[in-house]
Amino acid sequence: MTISAERPTEVATSVAPPARVSTPWTQRPGWMSQHLGTAIVGGFLGYILGHWFGNYISSSYPYIVNSGQNSIAVTLALTGMVVGWLLGIGALNYPLAKLIGKDAPAESEVKGWSKYFRYSTDHKVVGMQYVVGVLLFMFTGGLLAMAIRTELLNPTTHVFGPGTYIEIVSEHGTIMMMMATSIIVGPLGNYLVPLMIGSRRMAFPRIEAFSFWIFIAGYMVIFSALPYGGFSTGWTGYAPLQTQNGPGMISYLLGFAVIGMGMMAAGFNIAVSIINYRAPGMTWSRVPIFVWSILATASLLTLATPVLFAGGLFGILDKTVQTAFYVDEHGGSSYLWQNLFWFFGHPEVYIMALPGFGIVAEILPVFTRKPLFAYKVAASGMIGVALLSFFVWQHHLFQSGINPDMRPLFMLTTELISIPTGFIFLVGMGTLYRAKIRFEIPMLFAMALFFNFLIGGVTGVFLSDVPVNVTVHGGFFVLSHFHYTIMGGLLFAFMAGLYFWLPKMTGRMMNKKLGLIHFWMMFVFFNLTFFPMFIIGLLGQPRRVFTYASNLQGLNDFSSISAFLLGLSFLVFAFNLVWSMWISPEKAPANPWDSLGLEWQTASPVPAHNFDRIPVIMTDPYHYSEPGAPALADFGGASSGAATSDSHSAKNEGADND
Amino acid sequence: MTDIFKGSKAPNATPEEREFELRAHLGSIWTGGRLFIGMYTFMLASIAFAYFYLRSSNNAQLWRPNHITAPTYYGFFIYGFMVLTAILAIYGQWRLRKGEVADWQVAGWTGVASGLIALFLQIWEFTRVPFYPGSSGYASTFIGYAVMNIGTIVVGTYWLETTLARGLRMRKELGDGAEISSSPAAQSFRANVASMTYNWGFIALGATLFLVLFYLM
Amino acid sequence: MANNSQDTPRDLRKMTGIWVVLSVAADLLFWFLVGPHVPPGRMTETAKNNQLDFNILLVIALPVIIGVWVYMGYAITHWSAKRNGPEPVGGASARSNKKAQVWWIAVTSFVVLFLAGFGTVALIVDHGSGGGEGPNPVWMPAGAARAETAAINGTGTGILTEPGGEHVLPVQVIGQQWKFTYRYPTFGGFESSQLMLPANTTIAFNVTSLDVIHSFWAYQLSVKADANPGVNNVAFTETKNVGNFTVRCSELCGLWHGAMFNYGSVVSPSDFVTWATTTEAANHANTKDLPPFAWTYTPDANNAAGGWFPDGTVTPYSTVETYGAKQPAS
Repeated sequence: MTISAERPTEVATSVAPPARVSTPWTQRPGWMSQHLGTAIVGGFLGYILGHWFGNYISSSYPYIVNSGQNSIAVTLALTGMVVGWLLGIGALNYPLAKLIGKDAPAESEVKGWSKYFRYSTDHKVVGMQYVVGVLLFMFTGGLLAMAIRTELLNPTTHVFGPGTYIEIVSEHGTIMMMMATSIIVGPLGNYLVPLMIGSRRMAFPRIEAFSFWIFIAGYMVIFSALPYGGFSTGWTGYAPLQTQNGPGMISYLLGFAVIGMGMMAAGFNIAVSIINYRAPGMTWSRVPIFVWSILATASLLTLATPVLFAGGLFGILDKTVQTAFYVDEHGGSSYLWQNLFWFFGHPEVYIMALPGFGIVAEILPVFTRKPLFAYKVAASGMIGVALLSFFVWQHHLFQSGINPDMRPLFMLTTELISIPTGFIFLVGMGTLYRAKIRFEIPMLFAMALFFNFLIGGVTGVFLSDVPVNVTVHGGFFVLSHFHYTIMGGLLFAFMAGLYFWLPKMTGRMMNKKLGLIHFWMMFVFFNLTFFPMFIIGLLGQPRRVFTYASNLQGLNDFSSISAFLLGLSFLVFAFNLVWSMWISPEKAPANPWDSLGLEWQTASPVPAHNFDRIPVIMTDPYHYSEPGAPALADFGGASSGAATSDSHSAKNEGADND
Repeated sequence: MTDIFKGSKAPNATPEEREFELRAHLGSIWTGGRLFIGMYTFMLASIAFAYFYLRSSNNAQLWRPNHITAPTYYGFFIYGFMVLTAILAIYGQWRLRKGEVADWQVAGWTGVASGLIALFLQIWEFTRVPFYPGSSGYASTFIGYAVMNIGTIVVGTYWLETTLARGLRMRKELGDGAEISSSPAAQSFRANVASMTYNWGFIALGATLFLVLFYLM
Repeated sequence: MANNSQDTPRDLRKMTGIWVVLSVAADLLFWFLVGPHVPPGRMTETAKNNQLDFNILLVIALPVIIGVWVYMGYAITHWSAKRNGPEPVGGASARSNKKAQVWWIAVTSFVVLFLAGFGTVALIVDHGSGGGEGPNPVWMPAGAARAETAAINGTGTGILTEPGGEHVLPVQVIGQQWKFTYRYPTFGGFESSQLMLPANTTIAFNVTSLDVIHSFWAYQLSVKADANPGVNNVAFTETKNVGNFTVRCSELCGLWHGAMFNYGSVVSPSDFVTWATTTEAANHANTKDLPPFAWTYTPDANNAAGGWFPDGTVTPYSTVETYGAKQPAS
């Protein structure tokens, strides 16, 4: 760490200890302050106010007012709900106070569990909040998936009508996609990145908290589609079907805009934090690989999401003030939506893949007791994927009639992206080479990612090949492909990450027996659910249909029953979570997996400011099985907790056993 | 954008730690300002893409029948006031760096006024457009741009206003006259102003592009 | 440490051996047992080519998949703590291996570039491989351009025979919520909900839609083209054998998307001509009420491209001219 030569003493003296600002009423403990309850009240009031106002300004059209089809009223109601929610939780206190130049309020003094229901600027609290948030999304979307598979038990329509069915399909896709953008960046990214880079804080803690609370607001907005009668466009929302749809479409468009704001905020904060708050000595070649993946993801979140936001804005304008962005007959173009959507959509796909790679690459060295193989290749691969992902979006439009002469180009870029994606296999296989693998639950999930993602990745090459794409585009083949990459990749990585880091985050171990049941059920039934879908797709079943050829019933039923059992595995997970966290908590050792990572070297539970002294990083965290390896970091003499001694013994474990 | 650095409550025991945290904080403001421009660029790029895409596809020959144009006077005035705000912000920052806090305040508040006028004109322009939103591709894109421009002006002016308001509160820390304060709070404040100014410069650039696209072409 | 250098090649040799055996076996089994039955079958030239493409891709993919699986399987069985695997060695040699990395990147790059090149060639040689090529196709089969011209100008009748001896039939596919109908421009432009095609003929599908985006997926023909309103999306195929095929909509088009399918048949050219002329005669009265054959139909009163509504009975709610005019002062 360098001190600037001039005025070191001045720096030291000029920082007065922060004046004790009396806690404003919004931050007081207890019920007379701002928390989830006030947010709900705020959202409710905002909704009513917005709805009333929307009907008021269109009151000269009697057939529209209170028809339930008044797009302006619906838009304003939902916007009001989001604003009211943010006001209620206190997200806007400081931005408003700033207008008169006020200082930031003192950080929340609230202790105990109730801080999780507040607008907390502690990245650890936000991380935990995100865990609950993404699980909320996941279980909602999962239930809808169960409904889809129920309908597909039979080749004709039997449980749901076509209208309900298409609502369920669209809602499932949208909720899951929204969740998947945040499922790792939100919980694990927010919680772990500062710990991994040796920082005491995020760069913009309020923006971070904002990203979480607007994420939940986005959940409410997209969920409101169901009471509004749903939307029938699937998660892609293609115009002109979009234009044709009722108020449920507003929930979709606004939902994506709102979630998009959360994504931009989260990515913005995390990217800036990683760039600036790395502890002294944490050079770019010492940054944990997980942080690299989160950096690549955060950049994509920040830069690609504005396009989605703009696309959603255009859609909302089409629905409310009757512009014609996506209306061909009035000078717009339905292709415009497809281009904008997929220009965001394809980077989004990698937003959902990269963090998974990061987690797996971070976990492998711990359980193999070997350093990460080809670290530089891994990091550059992640950045390469992030860059290339902006140049592949038209492969979603191969059969659409848009720019047919560009197909070879997009076929090339799409297949090129499999080179940096393939690096994760190089890294994984190199790390496993002659290792001493311990098959703990996180490791099992990480290995499962390689199994699943291999199938997902290879089928991706089939999809990118235009001649083959003719058969597999828009069918169950592509459906299975992206479930293999997103669920088989990202969700398995998320589970690996949860099992791996929950002991650090909560101080409690997840039950291993239940974990094993969860893993094997999830892994087996995931593959039994989705592998038949490749065949179903090749045999000619398009996506999002409620009827299919009767000869496909056997495969579909097989897939459905596996899907129910896959759903059951999530109940096992939920049970494990409740059991291990609340019912029968087992205290976690300070470093249960003998990791060398910086995040394990601070005290457990993590103190409010993460590190008593800002650590000075000496080397990278992958010196496994290396006798005489340098210590990871200098904690400035201040003992940083029990973890330190554990990790020393872990480091020498390989040598001891020799 | 961010709160002013006053030393967090973290136990920064040593001068090194305080120095580190200050540098990280200043760096964050710098990086954040640039990243914000990146986001804004993609937002503008979406509008520009929509503009050129609809223009080149010219569906139903309704890209821009009879070469309809949004009210040019409004366009120029909105543009003028936005550029004025940007110039005032840049000028103010230049004076601030020289320690002339009063100049910065005067220039800044004038800039806020100019931003608010631009905002008012941009909203009022909706009542003066000679077409309805869905009448053509141009009309749609223009409405989309105008809505987005309202957002831009609101955010930009808000950022300018909050730095000014903060500047008034911390007059003492900033110092006045030729002397430039080197206190961390003042450094942080100046970094924030620099980022804000930089963004206003970019906003003015973007506004120029769209002035040409929507009003001049 | 010493036996490491000896173990290393042994491990790799073992794996390579297993890998080669399994890969060859899997490839051969696939190619001869499964390959000929891979969808979409061999009903058309396009289907045949696309099946071949799929099979080639899979033959390349299988060794890749098997390679990773063998490696992982070997690692799990030989290098685990439970089974007393080797003592891991850290340090520089475990962190990177230039040779392995360079080979990996070189091989993946080669495979990827080969696949992209192969795909491009297959796409161009097969005239778009049955995919929608937009309104101005760049890769057209022989005679298709003339057939398209004949179709829109109404200058050709029946199955068109080109100077080179190719038979070409232009067919229009019209998607709407929620059915496909077909127009035969060289048979007086009659419209039918039945899709009949002659065998051994190049078919030029002109796919369009009246409302939202559909996708015309003639599964066994290996043809897929999005039906966009206001866009003529052209796809080509060359029919070979007679038989039936399924048509499904493969782009979500709303409520009854799932029920949007029907069946078509490829019949012998003479049967086809018989059917077409009979249907043309039977539908004569209806055809007169249809809008004249056009690439696209715009179902609004603006008469921008097609004029779905008969002129004169619908009051245009606005015209192109009034769009740009100043609104009356209110």
